Amino acid sequence: MYLTTLSGTQGVPNGLLAAMFEARKRIFVDLLGWDVPVVAGRFEVDQFDDPHAVYLIISDEAGKHLGSARLLETERPHILDTLFPELCEGAVPKGPTTREITRFALDPRQNARQRRRVRDTLVCALANHALANGIEAYTGVAEIAWLQQILAFGWHCEPLGLPRENGATLLGALRIAITSETPTLLVRAELVPEPVVTPRPVRDAA
Amino acid sequence: MRTMSGLFIAREFFGLARQASTNADLMQALACVSISMGFDYFALTHHVDFAAAGHAAVRLHNYPDDWVAWFDARRLGVSDPVHRASQATSIGFTWQRVPELIRLTPVDRHVLDCARERGIGDGFTVPAHVPGEATGSCSFAVATGRCVPFDNLPLAQLTGAFAFEAARRINGTRSLDAQAPTLTERQRDCVLWMARGKTDWEIARILGLSQETVTQHLKQARERYDVPKRSVLAVRALFDGLISFSDIFRR
Repeated sequence: MYLTTLSGTQGVPNGLLAAMFEARKRIFVDLLGWDVPVVAGRFEVDQFDDPHAVYLIISDEAGKHLGSARLLETERPHILDTLFPELCEGAVPKGPTTREITRFALDPRQNARQRRRVRDTLVCALANHALANGIEAYTGVAEIAWLQQILAFGWHCEPLGLPRENGATLLGALRIAITSETPTLLVRAELVPEPVVTPRPVRDAA
Repeated sequence: MRTMSGLFIAREFFGLARQASTNADLMQALACVSISMGFDYFALTHHVDFAAAGHAAVRLHNYPDDWVAWFDARRLGVSDPVHRASQATSIGFTWQRVPELIRLTPVDRHVLDCARERGIGDGFTVPAHVPGEATGSCSFAVATGRCVPFDNLPLAQLTGAFAFEAARRINGTRSLDAQAPTLTERQRDCVLWMARGKTDWEIARILGLSQETVTQHLKQARERYDVPKRSVLAVRALFDGLISFSDIFRR
């Protein structure tokens, strides 16, 4: 599997970002029925997909999107403080070493076992990304079934408030502390990440 | 004030459940949190027949003994109406809502009546669905005549979800069977349409394949799973999460 880390300011050299926005449309709009904007009928892109956003994208050797997540700076407007502040009982966690994980997406064209491999790989990649970039905590808003999975990853997470009804489902907010111990905790929880290759820039490939 | 203390209770329980290394530790934590939330009983369980031997399934509870004996004698682990209802939702539900989730049979009503007679009144159940494992749930219940603490249901949802994960960790039930067979994308598509009730000819038309190819895909899928019948193949693929109920019923 390939892991590509892009920030919103870097262009789209290989179409991977576009592939991710298309996958997000299939997942969040077509499958989960979220009421979020769709651009050109194909891409799910919202107001937080700006130059400050950072994306972790897992793809196969052919460049097909397998899974991705978006990280938002918490000192700027993000999902928790803009859309769901009521999910936090105290103040919304903000700071230079706190990022919000949003749009965690697993491509539905895979079967459950493949999705699980990509999920594990992406979760471990998020932990490694934090450790490599001085990020000490992630926050996130999750629908209850997904929240239950996040709790099961064995890492150190705390609810920021009690879950609340949102339409037909329940939403909750979490804070996940990332320390040097986190990768060990994830492995102990039996996450099995695949080895990832970080693609070189295209010009080096020639 | 109530919600403030709710979050505090949740965090305290998370701490205890995270540190729990045995089922006894977890049961103690569950007993404490049940009382804090205003419940009398808890039951964390995989939905299997506990009278049948050889199951590496989890069941932790503090229900009255005679209720459990009654329950097991009737092998209700699989058919219990609350367990069945929890297959129909991913969100916690009070038992009063069970008739909205599944159609109750006269036997189901009898089960609920008997629970009440044996001291278990209303309850709240948090479902847990993990592909490749038996489904399960974590329930909190009140004694007959008492009221479910409605204000604390979001808290019960959170603690139930975390408790189930802690139980899976402690009991080592969470690894997917690495030996489980996998299907090709085409085989999976054919299994999905077969589970939707389509004939090979119909599947061939839908997927743009020849009828022989469809028949071959389904034969190979059965071989991979080493199952003799297509119906068993569909059930196995569902259990492993290769296909899901929503795949089958969503058009």
